[in-house]
Amino acid sequence: MGIQFKDVSYSYKGLKVNYDAIRHIYLDIKDKGEFIAIVGQTGSGKSTLVQHMNALLLPSSGNVVVFGQNLPPKKKEKINYLRQKVGLVFQFPEYQLFEETILKDIMFGPKNFKSTESQAMEMAKNAARIVGIDESLYEQSPFRISGGQMRRVAIAGILAMEPEILVLDEPTRGLDPRGRRDLMAIFKELHAKDGKTIILITHDMDLVSEYAKRVIVLKDGNLVFDGTKEELFEHPEFDSFHLDLPTPLKILKHLEKEVGIKYQPKYDFDSLLNYLKEVSHE
Amino acid sequence: MNNITIGQYIPGTSWLHKLDPRIKLLSLVILLVGTFMIPISVDLIPLITMLLIFVGIMVLTASTGIPMRKVLNGLRPIVFLLTFTFFIQLFYVRTGTLVTAPITMYISLSSMTGIILWLIFYNWSKKYVKTRILYFFFTAFMIFFIQAMLPYINFSSYTLYIYDEGLIRAGFIFVRITNVIIMTSLLTFTTMTTDLNYGIESLLKPLKVIKVPVDVIAMMLSLTLRYIPTLLGETEKIMKAQASRGVDFKESKFKEKVVQIISLLIPVFVISFKRAEDLGNAMEVRGYVIGAKRTRIDEYQIGFADIFSLIVACVILGLIIYSRAIA
Repeated sequence: MGIQFKDVSYSYKGLKVNYDAIRHIYLDIKDKGEFIAIVGQTGSGKSTLVQHMNALLLPSSGNVVVFGQNLPPKKKEKINYLRQKVGLVFQFPEYQLFEETILKDIMFGPKNFKSTESQAMEMAKNAARIVGIDESLYEQSPFRISGGQMRRVAIAGILAMEPEILVLDEPTRGLDPRGRRDLMAIFKELHAKDGKTIILITHDMDLVSEYAKRVIVLKDGNLVFDGTKEELFEHPEFDSFHLDLPTPLKILKHLEKEVGIKYQPKYDFDSLLNYLKEVSHE
Repeated sequence: MNNITIGQYIPGTSWLHKLDPRIKLLSLVILLVGTFMIPISVDLIPLITMLLIFVGIMVLTASTGIPMRKVLNGLRPIVFLLTFTFFIQLFYVRTGTLVTAPITMYISLSSMTGIILWLIFYNWSKKYVKTRILYFFFTAFMIFFIQAMLPYINFSSYTLYIYDEGLIRAGFIFVRITNVIIMTSLLTFTTMTTDLNYGIESLLKPLKVIKVPVDVIAMMLSLTLRYIPTLLGETEKIMKAQASRGVDFKESKFKEKVVQIISLLIPVFVISFKRAEDLGNAMEVRGYVIGAKRTRIDEYQIGFADIFSLIVACVILGLIIYSRAIA
């Protein structure tokens, strides 16, 4: 199960020329235990790619198979249910809020997928707990809370549908460092506890190196790299991807050059610190 | 979502594209007035004038290099109205001489089945037909044709009288509406919205004397036009976001539809208010003051071609008024 891309291309129709957003993509994503980061420059087709995962876009050519459902679907095949299985959180999801109260807004998703009122309420409360929305806020208007909290509510709105795969399009964009860390901690927890597959679009290489297990690199609509992050940062053609190195690796490379500390890849700040302590004791 | 075109401008370098927007607007108004001043009658002169205008417009279109299909597509929204007026005129004008013998129309089991079968066939086949407007017209004709041809198992019948005057009037009105639509779409095809806006602004300038805030209206108009594509884009985004939450905009019941539309409307409202506020601030920061004198980056100058086309438009109007007077 999970999601398979087979030779998928998608082109946006223009007035005169069609613009190819992604070209001949092959991918296999399991429905459990993956933490994937999708990176690439602006306009490289990341958002287009993830919109295929819950059938918002249907491939212009090639096939996507989502939980056994072939896309594009046959005539009269309903595909709406896929959006419950693959939860997609858009950029700036706080703009999708519309209900009178926060709880009602979170319940909107489950109710659309035919949950009863009480079930939906239960799912919504559960999702609100996961993202850390306090119970006292449940009956407040979603337009009267801070931007960071609005984003949490919006993400809870997707989580409440209890999707098997969670796809996030730049979830930390426009948040302060603290908010970013807190939000990522939520996804990490979801991944660690339930083994939920999480797919994340991001420009922040620090997030990639700290959280992701697998990285997919897109360049001009082509998939140019698909592998572990360890492989990515040591890739001989890394420079051609136009990506930045994550800060810990940058520090280590700098230290090797300036002070002669032996380079050893460390992907987050805690392990970097431990390594430096180790080195200094020797 | 992308097939909604408000700014329909098609880039080009023809003389009509280069015409001063003020002159273009003014000429269009003059020609529209002219077209409506041609009296509906069965006399020869109005008929010829109307057809001449039609031919003239076709030549004009060809000279701009805009594909004829695009221009005719502009008729699509009013094709129903066109067909409707045509048949009303055809059946209800009872003067002149009969063109054919009275036709008996049968509302019978066979004719009704025939019409339903034809409509099914029409719905299925219309995507293969390129000139859909003509096809729609043909379908309307077929509905009456079948009624006349299939009298078997009859319930009731009525008689149609088609007079030559009805036919002429119907055709006349048909051509008039077509003319008006094509003329206006020629304007929007060859003029950028910013230019159009400038044209409207300077033509309305005299109203300033009676304290009408013309420049404010023009600014509002241009901002509105500017933000239509932006808001459409935002709407599409919200639609996708709500679709990801299970809203199915295609297949659902009416009661669900109401909630769905609310889930779309409120976010779009919130976004547009936010955008408006941001834009207001951005304009103020860059020194926009309501009512202050503003300069333009492009200054328009009226050239020979502009004066010439204005004169031609005036002459056409004059001739129409003259022919009205002698009639």
